[in-house]
Formats: sequence, C-alpha cells, structure tokens
Amino acid sequence: MSDRPRRGAPKTADRLGQMLVVVPYLVQHPGSRLGDVATLFGMAPEQLRRDLDLLFMSGLPPYGPGDLIDVDVDEDDRIWITMADHFARPLRLTRSEALALYVRGTELVATPGLPQAPDLASALGKLRETLGPETLDADGLIEVMGGGIAPEHLALLREAAETHHRVDIEYFSASNEAWSTRTIEPEAVFSSLGNWYVVAWDLGAEAERLFRADRVRTAVGTLETFEPHGLAGAGRDLYTPGADDVPVRLRLRAGARWIAEYYATTDAVELDEGSLEVTLPARSLGWIAKLLLRVGPDAEIIAPDALRDELRALADRTRERYGV
Amino acid sequence: MAGNDRMEPLERLLNLVALLLETRTPLTFEQIRETLEPYRQEKVDSAKRMFERDKDLLRDFGVPLELVDVDAWGGEQGYLIPKDAYYLPEIAFTPEELGALLVAAQGGDENTAAERAVHKLLYGADGGVLAGLAGGPLASGSDARSGLVLAVAAAAQQRHRIVFGYRTSQGKASEREVDAFAMVFRGGHWYLVGHDRDRDDVRAFRLSRFTTDPEDRGEGSEPPGGFKAADHVQAGPWNAQAEERAVIAFSPEVAWWAAGSLQGATTTGTRDDGWVEVAVPLADEQALSGLILQFGDEAVALEPPSLRGAIVDRLEAIRV
Repeated sequence: MSDRPRRGAPKTADRLGQMLVVVPYLVQHPGSRLGDVATLFGMAPEQLRRDLDLLFMSGLPPYGPGDLIDVDVDEDDRIWITMADHFARPLRLTRSEALALYVRGTELVATPGLPQAPDLASALGKLRETLGPETLDADGLIEVMGGGIAPEHLALLREAAETHHRVDIEYFSASNEAWSTRTIEPEAVFSSLGNWYVVAWDLGAEAERLFRADRVRTAVGTLETFEPHGLAGAGRDLYTPGADDVPVRLRLRAGARWIAEYYATTDAVELDEGSLEVTLPARSLGWIAKLLLRVGPDAEIIAPDALRDELRALADRTRERYGV
Repeated sequence: MAGNDRMEPLERLLNLVALLLETRTPLTFEQIRETLEPYRQEKVDSAKRMFERDKDLLRDFGVPLELVDVDAWGGEQGYLIPKDAYYLPEIAFTPEELGALLVAAQGGDENTAAERAVHKLLYGADGGVLAGLAGGPLASGSDARSGLVLAVAAAAQQRHRIVFGYRTSQGKASEREVDAFAMVFRGGHWYLVGHDRDRDDVRAFRLSRFTTDPEDRGEGSEPPGGFKAADHVQAGPWNAQAEERAVIAFSPEVAWWAAGSLQGATTTGTRDDGWVEVAVPLADEQALSGLILQFGDEAVALEPPSLRGAIVDRLEAIRV
C-alpha cells in the first residue's frame, strides 16, 4: 500500500490527526451516531467508517485480542469504543492552532451584536490561562478595540435564516438610494469588516440579493417556510458584479485612497506621489457622485463623462441648500 | 495484526503513538522494530527510513516524540512520548463556551488551523454542541489573509523582528523593519503595533496594507514600560464623547438611515416639510463635513456656522 493519497482523499497525516481527536471524543461519548460525529469533525461519514475499521486493528503490545482497541458500530450507526484509554484525551494544541483559534475568536468578540460574544470571551480567557505563555502569550498580545452598534433586526433575521422562514422587510438601498419593501428568504447572516449582512433569495426579484442588516428599517417574520437555494454565506465577495454595472475610472490622490480600501475596485495602478487609479463598478452614478462630492479635489474622474455632469449638477443642488 | 505488506500507514502510526505513549522506559529503534511488525522488514535500512519518515510526520503534527537517554549512564538513547507533554490539559469549558468556539472556528475561508484547534477541545463537550452549527459561519474574517495574520501574530508573540513591504494610507511605499509587540483588531481590520527601527518609534501597521509577507529576522526587543497596544492605533476622527454638537437636517428619504449610521446622533425634531433635524457630536469638523457631503443635497448642516463654512469651502473647491 502506498502512502500517496488517492485524489480527493485526505492524506495519512490528516487522517491521523483526525483520529487522535475523534477517538477521545468517542471514548467520552459512548454511543454517538456516526453521522453526527462526522459532521462535528468535518469528515465524510465513509472516511470515518473506514478509519474506525483501521483503529480496530491497532492497540498495544503484544497485540493479542485483549490488547486491541475494540470498535463497534451497531445497526443504528452508534459507535462504541473500548480499550482505548491511551487515546482518551487528545493531543495538545500546537502554537499555531491555538493562535489561529484565538485570532479568529477575537475577531468575533469584537463584532457588535454577536449573542455568543460573552461566552466566546470567557472561553478565550480559559484557553489563554490553561495553555500558558509558551502557547499563547499573556495579556496585551492581542487587543480588541470595540465600538459599533448592532443592527436592530439582527436577531430576527438570524433566527429566520436558521429556521427557514420568510421575512417582509423595508430596505434602504445605498446604491440606488431608494426604499423598497420586499419579501426575502434569508439563508445566511454574517459579519464582514464590521458590518452584518444577510444573504437572501428575493422573491420579488426572483434572484439572490445581499442586504446590509443595518439598512433594514422594519422586519416582520412570516409563518411561511422556504427551501434554501444553498446561497454562499460568510467568506463570499461582498459585491456581486451585475450586467448593468457602469465601470467608473477614478484617479485617487492620497486623501482619497481610502475609497480603494473601502469599496471593491479592480485594475488598480499605482501612480507617482501616492496616487492610485482604480475602476469602481457602479450600479448607479448617483452614489458615486456623492462619494466624489465628499472627497472633492482628491479624486479625478477619468471616465465616464456622464459622471462629470452628474457631479456638477449635484454640487450645484447642494450649494443651493447653503444659499451660495 | 495484518501483515506488513497490507498494513495501512495510518494503522502503523496509531500503533507507534500508542506504544511510545504507554512505554515506561525509552525504546530504542531496535526495540520498536521488534515490537511493531511493519518495521520488521528484512532490510534494516529501509525500516529505519520508514521510521524516520513516521517520526518527522508525527513531530510536524505536534506529537512530542522525544529522544532521551535510556539510563542514567547515557550509553544508549531511546524514544518516548511524555504523557504530560502529549495530553491536552483539562480545560473546563461550559457547553456555551465550547459552542461559541466551534462557531468561531468556522471560517468560510482556509482557516483550518482554528478548526483543528477546536476539534481538540471537543472531547469533553456536553451533547448539543452540534446545534450551534445550524446557522453556518458567522463571520468572514478580516480584510487580511489569515496566513498573514497568523504569521504576524506569531512574530508578536515571540517578540521577533520582521521586515515587510508596506504602503501607507497615503500611498507611500517602503520596506519596514519592525520589532513586533502586539496585534490590535478594530473595525474589521488587524493592526500590528511594534517598534519601527528606521523611525525609532512605536507605530501601528494595518495588515491589509502589507505588500509582502513578513520576513522573520529573529529576536527583536521588548515593549517599553506601560506599553498599551491600543494607544497606538488611531481611533479615527469620530469621537462620540465630544461636547460640542452639530445640527444637521436630513431629507425624509435618508433621515432614518443617516441618524442610525452616525454615532452618538439624536433626533431633535421633524420639520413641516418632513426633513429631520439631528444633533451629532462634533469632534473633527473636516471629517464631519465629509460625511455630510456624502449625503449630497439630501443633507444640510445648520449649526455651527463654522461647519457650514467648511462645507461651503469644500463645495467651492469642486472643479469638474
């Protein structure tokens, strides 16, 4: 038998790592269901079944019948395991594992509106205390600066996403600056870069839409349930390019470079003296004109010409408000 | 036990870990070879090579496999896995804490080290941790690649000096040599705080502005006494605690959204034409003028006159 993994199959090292954490769980939880355990540890159920078969043949010297780990998967797919005392507790966390979990947890603790935040904070505290400075450093290594407000309807939207219930919302779209009422099927609620988002199927538009939770003015849960479309949640791109997008080309001087950090842009070219040229895909020119009103001479329009007209008209209308 | 030609590597490795964990005395390679059939091949060299590969694999995995003197006279050396170094110490998590860690480890990106970490903590879990997974991952992570975040965090933890390419918010690019002290997370962004060698000062660096991976230069230095990382990350121009108030009127279309998005804002009244007047803390006039201008003609600053003046100046500077 070769050490080389088959295509798509986990490597021996990864399978070993999984066994060294799965077996302690099975020892502590006799009668766990195979499917649940596979889900919990992110394994394919068939892989788990195969690796448990191998475990059955391992043990301690002299490897007689009474020395081998006894694994039984019964007709209800419940797992029973004995003679595995040496694997009753898992391996320590490596420093990089502990740090990865700590960093990830810290990001979430800092997110306003997360109901698990207090539990997460105390869990991270215990982790740091127990693993000690050789694994995770003492106070002050990783700090969080809080702030921000949790969106009003976050809990309702998250609950609807978990239980697959339709929600009627009143929504303010910043890209076309308009209020609308919609019925949506929320599939995932997640936070990214300090904001909460709702991925949903929009019944009126018959299409997938991404909503900012803080722009939902009202949300009313309905009793109608839905079948999820399997829309992508956390980790997705926040801007989905549309067929009607207008590519806006801008030259950003130092004072306006933040636009490229804040919005999804493409084709960035660094110029002299800290200037940057980028393309910003826009669903409407209206909100880009407002953005340019804010940054003034720090940004220059390269294309399209229609944006210049839009900005000129907006500047005139705004000046009128001040009587100048 | 199956013959060596048919034995899976996973089975061999499990047996090796169990053997070295349970042994009372260190085992020499010869003793391991006698005990574990897969190493009992005819050619000692190839058995030895296989054992070396297994040993490296286990160590890469964090298994503390040690080579120590077999007896006090130091004549021979053998292998063992000390139990106290191998086993995870007891950590008494509540089910809620464990559930929260499990949810946190779900990345939506390639953050598998965090998932491996939380899997190791699950063995003591009460039932019901699975329920917390129903809602899917809760966050997308920061704007920096998780690999970069971890590399910089590791440098800060070990107080190492690193060198990296960096571009400031103003667009100036240069190479930085920094003694890493700490990490700060604010508003979805990670910052490294450390001593910038060339500028001889403590500075903060946003990880999303790194233009290269950091290069580790070994031992750095200790932070100065009384060091607090967060003090070095600019809190931004927005200060909800400012005493002075500005008054802004917003059109009915944007009023709800505007009042909700400005920190510390309070609605003071609605005019007959439907425009809503809102009072907000005024800390930085230029920053607030920018925010108001982004509402275009849907907003107008009413007080104080200096704020109106700043906005009019900016409007006059618009040249299209």
